[in-house]
Amino acid sequence: MNKSFKLSSEQFKTVFAGLSEHYCIVGPKRFAGLGRFSDTDLIRYAPLTSIDELELAEKSCFSPKDLVFPPDETLFYFNGQQFSEAALPDNLEIIVLLRPCDINGIDRLDRMFMKNADVIDPYYQRRRSRLHFFMIECRESFENCFCVSMNANRSDNYAAALRFGKDGVEAEVASDKFLETFAVNGSVFEFKPEFVSENQIKVELPKVETMPPEIFTDKLWEEYDSRCISCGRCNTSCVTCSCFTTRDLFYGDSRTCGERRRVWDGCHLDGFCDMAGGHTFRKNKGERMRFKTFHKIYDYRKRFGVDMCVGCGRCDDVCPEYISFSNCINKLSARLKEGAE
Amino acid sequence: MSAQTTANPYLPFVTKIIAVKAETESEFTLTVQAVCSITPGQFFQVSLPRIGEAPISVSNYGSDWIQFTIRAVGKLTGAIQNLKTGENLFIRGPYGTGFPVDRFKNSRLVIVAGGSGVAPVRPLVDQVVNGQLPVKSLDLIAGFKNRASIIFTDDLVQWQQKSNLTLTIDKQEEGWDGATGLVTEHIRKLRFDTFDDLQVIVVGPPVMMKFATAEFRMLQVPAERIWVSFERLMSCGLGKCGHCKIDYTYVCVDGPVLNYSYAANLID
Amino acid sequence: MSLDLNRKKVTKNAYRITKRRNYTALRVRVPGGHLNAAQLSIIAGLAETFGDGTLHVTARQGFEIPNIPFERMSEVNAALKPLLAELQLRHGVQIDNIDAGYPGAGMRNISACVGNRICPFANADTTALAQRLEGMLYPNDLHVKIAVTGCPNDCVKVHLQDFGIVAICEPEYHYDDCIGCEACVKACERKVTGALTMQNGKVYRDERRCIGCGECVLSCPTAAWTRRPGRLYRVLIMGRTGKRNPRLAMPFLDRVSEDVVCQLIKNTLPYAERHRLKCIPKEHIGYIVDRTGLDVFKEEALTGIEFNPGARIAKTIQWPGYNTLNDANFKLISK
Repeated sequence: MNKSFKLSSEQFKTVFAGLSEHYCIVGPKRFAGLGRFSDTDLIRYAPLTSIDELELAEKSCFSPKDLVFPPDETLFYFNGQQFSEAALPDNLEIIVLLRPCDINGIDRLDRMFMKNADVIDPYYQRRRSRLHFFMIECRESFENCFCVSMNANRSDNYAAALRFGKDGVEAEVASDKFLETFAVNGSVFEFKPEFVSENQIKVELPKVETMPPEIFTDKLWEEYDSRCISCGRCNTSCVTCSCFTTRDLFYGDSRTCGERRRVWDGCHLDGFCDMAGGHTFRKNKGERMRFKTFHKIYDYRKRFGVDMCVGCGRCDDVCPEYISFSNCINKLSARLKEGAE
Repeated sequence: MSAQTTANPYLPFVTKIIAVKAETESEFTLTVQAVCSITPGQFFQVSLPRIGEAPISVSNYGSDWIQFTIRAVGKLTGAIQNLKTGENLFIRGPYGTGFPVDRFKNSRLVIVAGGSGVAPVRPLVDQVVNGQLPVKSLDLIAGFKNRASIIFTDDLVQWQQKSNLTLTIDKQEEGWDGATGLVTEHIRKLRFDTFDDLQVIVVGPPVMMKFATAEFRMLQVPAERIWVSFERLMSCGLGKCGHCKIDYTYVCVDGPVLNYSYAANLID
Repeated sequence: MSLDLNRKKVTKNAYRITKRRNYTALRVRVPGGHLNAAQLSIIAGLAETFGDGTLHVTARQGFEIPNIPFERMSEVNAALKPLLAELQLRHGVQIDNIDAGYPGAGMRNISACVGNRICPFANADTTALAQRLEGMLYPNDLHVKIAVTGCPNDCVKVHLQDFGIVAICEPEYHYDDCIGCEACVKACERKVTGALTMQNGKVYRDERRCIGCGECVLSCPTAAWTRRPGRLYRVLIMGRTGKRNPRLAMPFLDRVSEDVVCQLIKNTLPYAERHRLKCIPKEHIGYIVDRTGLDVFKEEALTGIEFNPGARIAKTIQWPGYNTLNDANFKLISK
């Protein structure tokens, strides 16, 4: 049975301080002046030293996925014929403060890294297993959000759900692990998190079991040939993009020592489908847009029974060329309807 | 989270190179010492620490050895080309779904392979030729760009005796008295009275596969009787890295060998 | 009654002698080239009421209102009051008598590119710096040209100024966030100086090649490059057009703070006053530095400046330019 509590700001600070002793608490944090443009801020997931650092007013530019899938991760070290698996730098359990869309986003990553082909990715698993979700209640959309259309606006997958108000926090605690600190510091209270029920941006998902082959080469994609600059921001900001490439590096002048790493890759980036010998699949940016779109809202569902995209809208937030993914989905659906008629 | 501990599948194991054979100027076959249970058509992630890793199909194997036939086209394959007998090669695998060998038993088997596409079918052809895999007949069309790019010359001599082999090069060259023309031209010459026990394998570069499969379809060969093997960029072989995904198919785990009735609908 | 003018006073009041006898033109200051639309209406009103209803947009981002009768100067000065009040109140310019028109015309209008209020490439709010300098330096009688540009692309052409201020970015690399996509390397190679190279899948920056434009920050899809907090500038000095020896301004200070920039220019005023040729009405700062030499300028203009850590100074400067007296290089091509 979940229990819920009400805490004053001061009481919640005590909870935060207590949890900080045993957990690394991560949440969206504002970094002044570190934005892409001068005198702009960057909001990204980072360890919080105080709850005051939690950024609630604006959407983060990057998702919390790097907690389970860092941009650059050493897989193993090699020394001659010896390979040794890279250890995690610490054993800290992590509490991450995140919204329902991102909880659902991490669920999509779970399916890729833990379920696909019945292979458990050990690097993902070890990071994932130390993560505890503290859900930030999200009752209003930010710009470009379309989580409701993607059915990713709700989640009950959390250790605790928090409503941050002016004079304190209301919390529903689902995990016994955290019950005590809330019970000791707060007072019992009826609270159940609410979820945004309508976004300004709505997408209509294609209602087809199988994409007709002609839609793959439809002129719908052509505009993206010239519009997309393959900068990869849609991929890096996406909570569900999980592609990576491996890369070896070596130490100084050593002939035998080095490491193999994996780094984020993205289907919009050049080189993503280059074959040794020169052949490239999806040379055109429009084909890449089609590949991404289908993965996010069509073929992932065929494999895992749920759409990959969670409608966080970060890709639309960051595209320097103002390419809107939500609009693209709607264009696709409209085109499929036209074709069906 | 359900935590199930497994051995780290990303860690390669070391193998010793026991033979190196140059096939052409840029292609070579390495034999490494390793004991593995392999199905023809499967591949390994082959690597040299410091340089990188790439998927390479098994070009033959025995109880304690594996062969890889590699074309030196990049940094990694170029570095592997410089390896000598006694040196180490690092591999992990085998990965992917190989050929459905059982289905080929007692079939009339047609194999069309282009260029380095001969490598993944070589273990299968060997099994037929040495009687391990009984078939009613084997038609083998092996196409190469030119005389200089022909690989497995010794095997081809052997295969010629035990199968109906058409060895073709794209254009006539001086001193060549064999067949010429693209593989499609030779597929066109095949005659099928019935498709009952027919099985067709097509492996090669993307363009060759596209036209070769189309040719078989024009000959009314049912798509279900055609098998293809895809080659894609891969970073893991485990269905994680995303590079080899086509539609909802991951070539590394669902393939590389796919039935054409399925593969025909896959658009990159 | 005949017009009896003190030409020097009139000029200092920002009115100029024009071709047309008895008529003047007023130069209106627009520090940073940015103004409120309401001010623009006032300027338009001045042209309509006192001039011929036309306005000239100057090369330095000010306005010149032509065809004003000299005899209406005091009326114009009274009507100018709201513009002067803006300088006084918003930018902190010291104006003793706000009813008497512009108190000086030596230092030209400080121009600036649009800066980071608008431009994504800009490393600083150039408008704000131009306005700060205006408040600090104006009025003064030194013939000096100052401009501020937001990045080394130099859209406002600080290379032709006595003081050309370039806002720069000190890129900071976050190793763990870099995915080795090479976007920054390509951007720097194609558009800038090729200061970035890939080594072992990561990016290395050659500090000697980096000009601080910020392209790497702009191109990075993972925010592995960010701007080091705190604004830094490069100051180019003593570029000029002019009839004798047009030349490009050259880097003098690099990676200096805004305070250093301001103090440098402030110190230049007494330096110029000490060394200027008294026999001519006004001597352009560039020629004063030519005469005293860079070392004297350095010694006096840098007096009392507290440099920020990391600040750098040019050891020597050779200005690229040419003497206009180069007839020997010309031959007749058509008779």
